[in-house]
Amino acid sequence: MEAIIQIENVHKHFGNVQALRGVSLNIEKGEVVVIIGPSGSGKSTLLRCINRLEEFDSGKIVVDGIPLDSAENINAVRTEVGMVFQQFNLFPHLNVLENLTLAQTVVRKRNKAEAYENAIMLLEKVGIPEKAQNYPLQLSGGQQQRVAIARALAMNPKIMLFDEPTSALDPEMIQEVLDVMLALAKEGMTMVVVSHEMGFSRAAANRAILMDEGQIIEEGPPELLFSHPKHDRTKLFLSKILS
Amino acid sequence: MASTLPVLLNTSDKKSRYFDRWWLLLIGVILLIIGLIVFKPDPFKRILFFVSDGIGVTIYTTLVSFVIVLIFGLITGLGRLSKISIIRAVTTIYVEVVRGIPLLVQLMFWYFAFPSIIQGLGEMISIETLAKYRANPIFMAILGLSFCYSAYMSEVYRAGIQSISRGQMEAARSLGMTYFQAMRFVILPQALRVILPPVGNEFITLLKDSSLVSVVAVADITRRGREFMAANFIPVDTWVMVALLYLVLTLFSARIVTWIERKTKLER
Repeated sequence: MEAIIQIENVHKHFGNVQALRGVSLNIEKGEVVVIIGPSGSGKSTLLRCINRLEEFDSGKIVVDGIPLDSAENINAVRTEVGMVFQQFNLFPHLNVLENLTLAQTVVRKRNKAEAYENAIMLLEKVGIPEKAQNYPLQLSGGQQQRVAIARALAMNPKIMLFDEPTSALDPEMIQEVLDVMLALAKEGMTMVVVSHEMGFSRAAANRAILMDEGQIIEEGPPELLFSHPKHDRTKLFLSKILS
Repeated sequence: MASTLPVLLNTSDKKSRYFDRWWLLLIGVILLIIGLIVFKPDPFKRILFFVSDGIGVTIYTTLVSFVIVLIFGLITGLGRLSKISIIRAVTTIYVEVVRGIPLLVQLMFWYFAFPSIIQGLGEMISIETLAKYRANPIFMAILGLSFCYSAYMSEVYRAGIQSISRGQMEAARSLGMTYFQAMRFVILPQALRVILPPVGNEFITLLKDSSLVSVVAVADITRRGREFMAANFIPVDTWVMVALLYLVLTLFSARIVTWIERKTKLER
């Protein structure tokens, strides 16, 4: 079967900084891939290239059979790919329900009732149906991130991208977000997660990838990569985050 | 004003329970005008009657110009943020040039020079309607005010849009929205809240600057005041009355801006 995300020799630079140096990666449908690596290693950039929030200089990315080249294709891909950000990025002028229904009605052209039903269903799934009428700034960080996940899911994406979803959270709120992500992984969602949450990786990921200086250094099943890293840079990085 | 007061005093909503005390200043000024008319009808009542048609002209000119400014300023502001360099260049030149020329000079240009150019052009290509073109004072005044203030307003819009974090646009785009959908449903509703105070400020400044149109044959409050003074030569009373009338308009506008600001605050 063809991989749902095909990344081929992608290069990207910001000014003089080479952010990605020829990254190639295939991700199968239903796979959960965790990307780790030091800050500035290009892991977030790679993630953002998958739905073209970041333009790349050369190389090729095909998502669900759609190459990221024309503007229409980019919008088509974006409706199939949900994204969760470190800073949640909920729309603060809309309440939780409106956050979940806006893109459904504007992009998916669903009617109000359908969008509303879907939104309520998703809020139950992430465990906060009682917050439907609240505004984002009235919620805790963990709740906001769960709403953000529900907002992305409301578009019925085939792929979910997570860009350090728990890094901006207080420690006691991390687990509630990870639980939602874990449940999603169990349902068979294709997920690409930039995160250093080892517990989540061990429990949910099929593959872990270590990136450094814009390249993929090593990849393998999380258990193997974390406990028996082959590469020196992987060892060094793991020793830093595990200590 | 009478219709807005009950809304202000509406106690059902937490946000509107607070009474804006600055309304009292406006009421004070209105009472002062009434006092002057009642206790010294000559000349104050005569002045008020004489300039009263100018009040309508001032309000009309300001409001029509402002609506145009709101729309054209937004278009220019978006142009200044465009990824396409030619659009960015054209709008930037417009803003820089217009900002650098005094409004009074611009109004003179639109009323005196512009029709002359049209006439010359009409004669050159022999189209009679153009050659006989006559400027309509109010039309040219509104054109001049809008043209100038749109440049100022575009900067306000630009600053407001740039104040919204990039993550908002990214979140909207990642949900599949187009640039314009993201602008309309996500960025602008937030940016408008941010820029409300400076927009209100622009409105009040525009209201005051509309007095400049009196030099291009528009019979606004200021021009009517000058006409009254020329006929009666009582400068102090005339200009006190004109000043008080402007004060009523500006104080009222300021209170409305504050009221809208409070109504649109983000819930937290």
